[in-house]
Amino acid sequence: MFSALRGIWDNTYGLLVDDGQLAVGAIVALAITWLVASSGTDAVRQNAGWLLLALVVVLVVANLYRAGRNARRRVS
Amino acid sequence: MDLVTLAIAATPAFIASAVEFVEATTIVLAVGITRGWRAPLVGTALAALTLAVIVVTLGVALVTVVPEKLLLGVVGTLLLLFGLRWLRKAVLRFAGIVALHDEEEIYRREVAQLRSQGLKKTEWDWIGTIVAYKAVLLEGTEVAFIVIAFGAKGVAAMNAAIVGAIVAGIIVTAIAAALRHPLTAVPENWMKFGVGAMLSSFGVFWFGEGIGAEWPGDAASIPIILGVFLAASWLAARMLRGLLPEGARVEARNV
Repeated sequence: MFSALRGIWDNTYGLLVDDGQLAVGAIVALAITWLVASSGTDAVRQNAGWLLLALVVVLVVANLYRAGRNARRRVS
Repeated sequence: MDLVTLAIAATPAFIASAVEFVEATTIVLAVGITRGWRAPLVGTALAALTLAVIVVTLGVALVTVVPEKLLLGVVGTLLLLFGLRWLRKAVLRFAGIVALHDEEEIYRREVAQLRSQGLKKTEWDWIGTIVAYKAVLLEGTEVAFIVIAFGAKGVAAMNAAIVGAIVAGIIVTAIAAALRHPLTAVPENWMKFGVGAMLSSFGVFWFGEGIGAEWPGDAASIPIILGVFLAASWLAARMLRGLLPEGARVEARNV
């Protein structure tokens, strides 16, 4: 029973998370957007989607850059 | 919903599911060719039944019970995490940092492993059933997730997502059955790249809607968001190629 639950958890986790830092970064970006949208003015809330897009794009590029640097360290 | 609207609504789920079906078909094909077709087909049918139960139970519960704003927020979060995972891996594969998914190699390995396990003609082939069941269930879980995520907006969206996934399954299975060979010609990484960007775009769009953000032109903003993801990922792939020494290829799972 425990191993079956463990298997389901591992599969679900693996479905969503490949790189822990990227996943945590995405959650942080979502939390920041939610905080900004819920505490700002109407205009800020209405445009919060673009903030999320900007945060996520920066996150992806930064994460890939880090991956590239790690890979370069491995081959050099 | 007319046929054209249905086709447009079903396309994201169709493309995303097709990639997963290609991977599942490779394993089922390897089992069928080495050990006979009855056992893997039973395994596949059982897995499809399990997945149908998952989609119907979770999908209907999500669409009917969870409040719309909360649902958009939750599904947006899951889609974003799922999409970024695919997008990241596809970019790393384009850059040569992670090895490309090789269906031919997976097929050969699977065939060799299945042959080494032998086959007793008098007994039911449990190995064939279980291997096919596990492969279809594993890849199919991602299809179920895709269907639930794309279909979470409502009953019409759920129907379109289910149709998209079923059509993808039928087409991939029919082509594989006709060729009796893994579908190596499918540009899997390009598809994963596109689907990763698409899922991430839907994730950003729906999470935004969930927290009360307004997108200009509503769903017409999705292609713009998608364009931003594609452009940023393409630039990132070029940047990575520039970072690595000429001709270097790294086989590193955790980078």
